[in-house]
Amino acid sequence: MIWYLVRRAAVLLASTAAAGVVVFAFMALLPGDPAEVALGVNATPEALEALRRQFGTDRPALAQFLDWVGGLVTGDFGTSYVTSSPIGPQIAERFGVTLTLVLGGMAIALVVAVPAGTFAAVHHRNPLGALISAFSQVGIAVPAFLAGILLVFVFAVQAQALPSGGYVPFAEDPSLWLRSLLLPWLSLGLVQGAVLTRYVRSAVLDVMREDYLRTARAKGRGRMGALWRHGLRNAAIPVVTVLGLQLATLLIGAVVVERVFVIPGLGDLLLNGVAQRDLLLVQGVVMMLVVAVLLVNFVVDLAYAVLDPRLR
Amino acid sequence: MRGNLVVGAVLVGLTVLAALVSFVWTPHDPTLVDAAHRLAPPGGDYLLGTDKFGRDTLSQLMVGARTTLYVGIVAVGIAALVGTPLGMVAGMTPHGWLSELIMRVNDLVFAFPALLLAVMLGAVYGAGTLTAMIAIGIATVPAFARIARAATMQVMVTDYILAARAAGRRRTAIAVRHVLPNIGSMLIVQASVSFAIAILAEAALSFLGFGTRPPTPSWGRMLQEAQELLFSTPRLALWPGLAIALAVLGFNLLGDGLRDHLDPKLRRIRAER
Amino acid sequence: MLSVEGLTVRADDLELVRQVSFDIAHGERVGLIGESGSGKSLTALALMGLLPEGVTATGSALLKDQPLVGVPEKRVKDLRGRVVSMVFQEPMTALNPTMRVGAQVAEVMTLHGTPRADARARTLDLLRRVGVEAPRAYPHQLSGGQRQRVMLAIALANEPSLLICDEPTTALDVTVQKQMLELIAELAPAVLFITHDLAVVASVCSRVLVMYGGRVVESGPIREVFTNPRHRYTEGLIAASRLTPRGTRLPTISGTVPAAGEFPDGCVFSNRCAHAMPTCSQEPTLQGEGHAYACWHPRD
Repeated sequence: MIWYLVRRAAVLLASTAAAGVVVFAFMALLPGDPAEVALGVNATPEALEALRRQFGTDRPALAQFLDWVGGLVTGDFGTSYVTSSPIGPQIAERFGVTLTLVLGGMAIALVVAVPAGTFAAVHHRNPLGALISAFSQVGIAVPAFLAGILLVFVFAVQAQALPSGGYVPFAEDPSLWLRSLLLPWLSLGLVQGAVLTRYVRSAVLDVMREDYLRTARAKGRGRMGALWRHGLRNAAIPVVTVLGLQLATLLIGAVVVERVFVIPGLGDLLLNGVAQRDLLLVQGVVMMLVVAVLLVNFVVDLAYAVLDPRLR
Repeated sequence: MRGNLVVGAVLVGLTVLAALVSFVWTPHDPTLVDAAHRLAPPGGDYLLGTDKFGRDTLSQLMVGARTTLYVGIVAVGIAALVGTPLGMVAGMTPHGWLSELIMRVNDLVFAFPALLLAVMLGAVYGAGTLTAMIAIGIATVPAFARIARAATMQVMVTDYILAARAAGRRRTAIAVRHVLPNIGSMLIVQASVSFAIAILAEAALSFLGFGTRPPTPSWGRMLQEAQELLFSTPRLALWPGLAIALAVLGFNLLGDGLRDHLDPKLRRIRAER
Repeated sequence: MLSVEGLTVRADDLELVRQVSFDIAHGERVGLIGESGSGKSLTALALMGLLPEGVTATGSALLKDQPLVGVPEKRVKDLRGRVVSMVFQEPMTALNPTMRVGAQVAEVMTLHGTPRADARARTLDLLRRVGVEAPRAYPHQLSGGQRQRVMLAIALANEPSLLICDEPTTALDVTVQKQMLELIAELAPAVLFITHDLAVVASVCSRVLVMYGGRVVESGPIREVFTNPRHRYTEGLIAASRLTPRGTRLPTISGTVPAAGEFPDGCVFSNRCAHAMPTCSQEPTLQGEGHAYACWHPRD
């Protein structure tokens, strides 16, 4: 067990380091000089030189990379070349928002998928189960932002019950906070729920065929009792794997949903950064997102080991 | 289920048909701005209405189908061409250092979702269809590599492979002549599923403004324009939304149907961790 | 104690087991032999109420005057694991991989009302008796033979009146097999022992039923049936299992077992029997006391 964890942690660290190199190298390819962008085309060479020195962009790439990485480790994402404000705090603030969005979406997805998928598996021979399967197929085909637009149309345009966008921090007004997040959560959650339903169904179906369920029934359990007591934990294993993948997808889905609902999260920050060619900002946000994905994978690996004693 | 295959094929066929026909004929020029007929409702000259610039929605949908299919074909093509050999190599020597390396790099790329890659590529090389295709393609490589590896490993332990190896056939010969045809069916299924994902990714990118540049029509961008007018003219969102959903549904169903058809007893290849 | 009368198992319109009748007395060990496709496993599953979806059983099966067939699941559930229990063929997959072995044994007791603490104590005792003293182990840490012995512990935990074994030793090595059989002989109450292996059944059981094509074709005390088979199928079976002297051909039964639903009308064995006559198109009934057989032209 310990060995497993150590190996996984080592992989996490190595991946993070590799990701850092990739992200930095990528952004280093960006044509254009931040100093020029900041001062404009008519700037004097001396002014440019001075600004470059201030930014640190006159040093060799390796030095800049090490500097950046060193800063990252301490939580210092540097200062934006474009807005001259520190990047770290921006990311931290926005990360919380995106996290709320993603977790809420995941929660809804689970609430939808676990009962629906189990039901579809148990009733896989009759029309009801087939209906749920069909619904989940349709759900998968709808991208989160389309679901968002649809929901806005129904609830904001037609029913006028919920806001079509905007975000209110929890501290400011809890009830408005909830209302502003409801539709975004549903957009992410329903779509992911459809995807997850298929996996839950498949996992439960596989478990239903297992011999140990028959053993449980031979002990005196009924069909549902056997499934509940023995099947669930075993079915959870493949589902947890997918959850990890889904969390990564959700993270990206959140980026788009933030656009639809005008929510000031990381995605919004990223897109603005790219539009403004704020190189250092984009670097920082991308790194943040990638690390988040890697961390999620790591946690999933942990959960895996907890659920399945064969791995330890 | 037979039904999956049929419905999927029909939907995909419709999309392909629309794209092909658009090369020869569209009701109107999709890029033609017609201020006099802005936001026209469906009917008459404009079968599905027009958008805020007076461009015909139906024509835009048809030409947009081209973009959708282009991106899918190129992205899946890149992913298959790069990912399959990598996966096969990893699968034929499952415990070697090369296999480990490939899988680690695979996982790393997996951590960069298509959207992120596309945004990064777009920032460097400018947004557009090409960067979108390449980014989505690169992001899809891991999926193909994984499937190819898992399928290869399954095939490697079969008797006829053992026989071929016992007969002294060279590795590459075995790979091409024996392994490839047998993992082919699983790769086709993956291709269909990945195609669907590629369409979604392209739509999202266009929606964000990182995909196909105007004036080339794109379903994702049509949705973005529709969203701006959601309160006043909600029907604008209907057509591109429907198009995206149906195309994706079609490829997904096709993939499922193919999977059932090509190997009904196929034990689901669990994504290896 | 167990009285089965006219047990018939159907899947839609297909009869898989037809009019099977037999009794098992207290403490008696009865073997049920036959090839794959003879319906022996289905008979066992029918007695446990564990038939798969779409498969139904009719007829009567009374265990200590309690009906096992034709009653709702709720009632059978109560009897399963408590009054009648079963050990299956595949030990490698029969246990829940994420649950400790001791917990799985205790479960069958707590399910039927035993208090936790008692169940735990008894679990340790049972595991000791079957020779697998590792209650905290996970199934994947045990060998096939050990897992099968755990299954036996589970089956015997509530001291059932009848233990049904469906090929319990087929998946095990020969030496392990012997241990398992000894355990069963030592610990079990009445046993219905299903197998295709004649040697195994001879070492455990006192009486045997021979099944073919979903019917019982012969039954009686083991010694008698094996040394003096009357039904032609049994005759073929015994002959095929004897060691043959060098240079001679292994005797076989001509033809192959037909698929379900493709058995001939009348005597099920008639299409493969060397002694078939026109009268065999009429289904023979089981005749004879003690040693019974269903054949118009038995061996004598």
